[in-house]
Amino acid sequence: MTSPTDALVASGLTKRFAEREAVSNLSFRVPTGRAFGLLGPNGSGKTTTVRMLTGLLRPTGGTVTLFGQRLDTASADALRGRIGVQTDTNLYESLSVRDNLQIWGELYGLAPAVVRQKAGEVLEVLGLSERVDSLVGQLSKGMRQKLSVGRAVLHEPDLLFLDEPTAGLDPEASADLIDYLKEMIRTLNTTLIICTHQLHGLESLCDELGIIRQGRLVITGEVQSLLRRRWPEKRYRLSAAGDPAAVRAAITAVIGAEAEVVVTGDHCEFAVPEDEAISRVIARLVRDGLGVRAVVPQYPTIQDLYFATLNDGSPS
Amino acid sequence: MMNRQRVRALIRKDWRELSRNKQATVPLLVLPLVFVIIIPTAIILLGNNPALLATVNGLQAFIDNLPVGITPDGYSTRQLIIYAVIVYFMAPFFLLIPVMVASIMASSSFVGEKERRTIEGLLYTPLTDRELVLGKVLVSVVPAVLLTWGSFLIYTLLVNVLGGPILGGMFFPTWTWAVIIIVLVPLVSFLATCLIVAVSGRSTSMQDAQGSAMLIVLPVIALVVGQATGLLLFDVSVALIVAAALLVVDVVVFVCVVGRFQRERIVTRL
Repeated sequence: MTSPTDALVASGLTKRFAEREAVSNLSFRVPTGRAFGLLGPNGSGKTTTVRMLTGLLRPTGGTVTLFGQRLDTASADALRGRIGVQTDTNLYESLSVRDNLQIWGELYGLAPAVVRQKAGEVLEVLGLSERVDSLVGQLSKGMRQKLSVGRAVLHEPDLLFLDEPTAGLDPEASADLIDYLKEMIRTLNTTLIICTHQLHGLESLCDELGIIRQGRLVITGEVQSLLRRRWPEKRYRLSAAGDPAAVRAAITAVIGAEAEVVVTGDHCEFAVPEDEAISRVIARLVRDGLGVRAVVPQYPTIQDLYFATLNDGSPS
Repeated sequence: MMNRQRVRALIRKDWRELSRNKQATVPLLVLPLVFVIIIPTAIILLGNNPALLATVNGLQAFIDNLPVGITPDGYSTRQLIIYAVIVYFMAPFFLLIPVMVASIMASSSFVGEKERRTIEGLLYTPLTDRELVLGKVLVSVVPAVLLTWGSFLIYTLLVNVLGGPILGGMFFPTWTWAVIIIVLVPLVSFLATCLIVAVSGRSTSMQDAQGSAMLIVLPVIALVVGQATGLLLFDVSVALIVAAALLVVDVVVFVCVVGRFQRERIVTRL
């Protein structure tokens, strides 16, 4: 069932190349204005999926609906006008930064004057303004990466596919790019599908995610809900003065002897069954004369979920 | 519905890339130079020199087999040779120039994008199959035709300046030549380029594409080009009928090439 608020709905998407099934029965939906992380190891079927979602590959089975319209041969070209795609596809190296953007904008139907204005804005945000007349072949890998993202967002697409957008970027540039994408989603209500292996900090961008392995979507859903489902208990990292064995004993006295308490150096990590339990743990430590130095809640990340999912291989 | 802005943008991109690739463009100018300047100059200046007739392959046989009455009366042997070569013998070359230029450019433009892995980016854009194929065909056809037309102007000037005094005044071009250059050159170039784009869809390298072009496309085109001299023996109306037929062939071939164009085949063979 397609909701009018869904930018993308994939339903039973399957792609077979000869005897090999690259993608198998993939179903997920991405509401408008949300960021969806499509994660998975190399060769898991992400590229094939993106190619089917953009009409480059015809699914062997299943359907794709974009903006409420079924993607097929007749509708694909018009729908692609509302999509921006950044992949590892190369830029035109013998052309300048300006030419690459100018031609791309015109291919998406923007008037030359509009392209010039948009290109100026995008290059400013991406820190490439001073290289506008440089040939792409003369740019560093990171600059090319930024330009390829700039080219994909130039026409302000309703749906944006990004493939490893932060690969090759330094941490500062990477953080800037993520901020730029968040701002774009917020102001233009853009829907984002991001395929990446750079999982660190992804939860600040992605609202939803799907993890694909060997062509099958093993989990999909809203990020926080997936994390809660996987780790329903809250985890804490606690540092206290005194004998580690005594600290451990005080903690297990509250949360149960069978609970796992991992002690590393002068701190220990454990999960509590309910929120108020941490207050009781702290009270117990104080009562036993074990001074509490710090209590830091530990939030599971997308990276944790990714590895946990791939390790156990069971659908969540 | 064809979006001209997108086609123009695609063409402009390819031309900018091409203009920065001297290795690709300089050889394209050599071929017309030989056909347009060197051969006619040699023919006019050396006339019926036996060494020349032996050097240019097939020239002696061509002159020996010319039908009676197709050259103006009262010409000497030297005048006859000059007239026959300039007006009849050279015609197929003027169809070969655009075909060869377009072939080289088409294989470079289309398969070059595959080699450089830029084609996938284009396939993600709203360019329709028809716009993409048309753009890629025109990228090659337009320069090939302009180069041929420029060559024809130089050829016309050269043969009249050098040959006019020998043949008693301006003798070139004839009306049939005009039809060949203005109408047939674009049509033959378009046909050749469409066929190259069709066969290069399966190629993964420019060498592969040019090899396919040599094996599959050029024999077909040679058949068409080979009839050019024969066409000159008839009057202009026959040339126009042939042009009309070729136009139909061009449209049919273009529609077939667009129909057979598959993004899936391209992206899965990158």
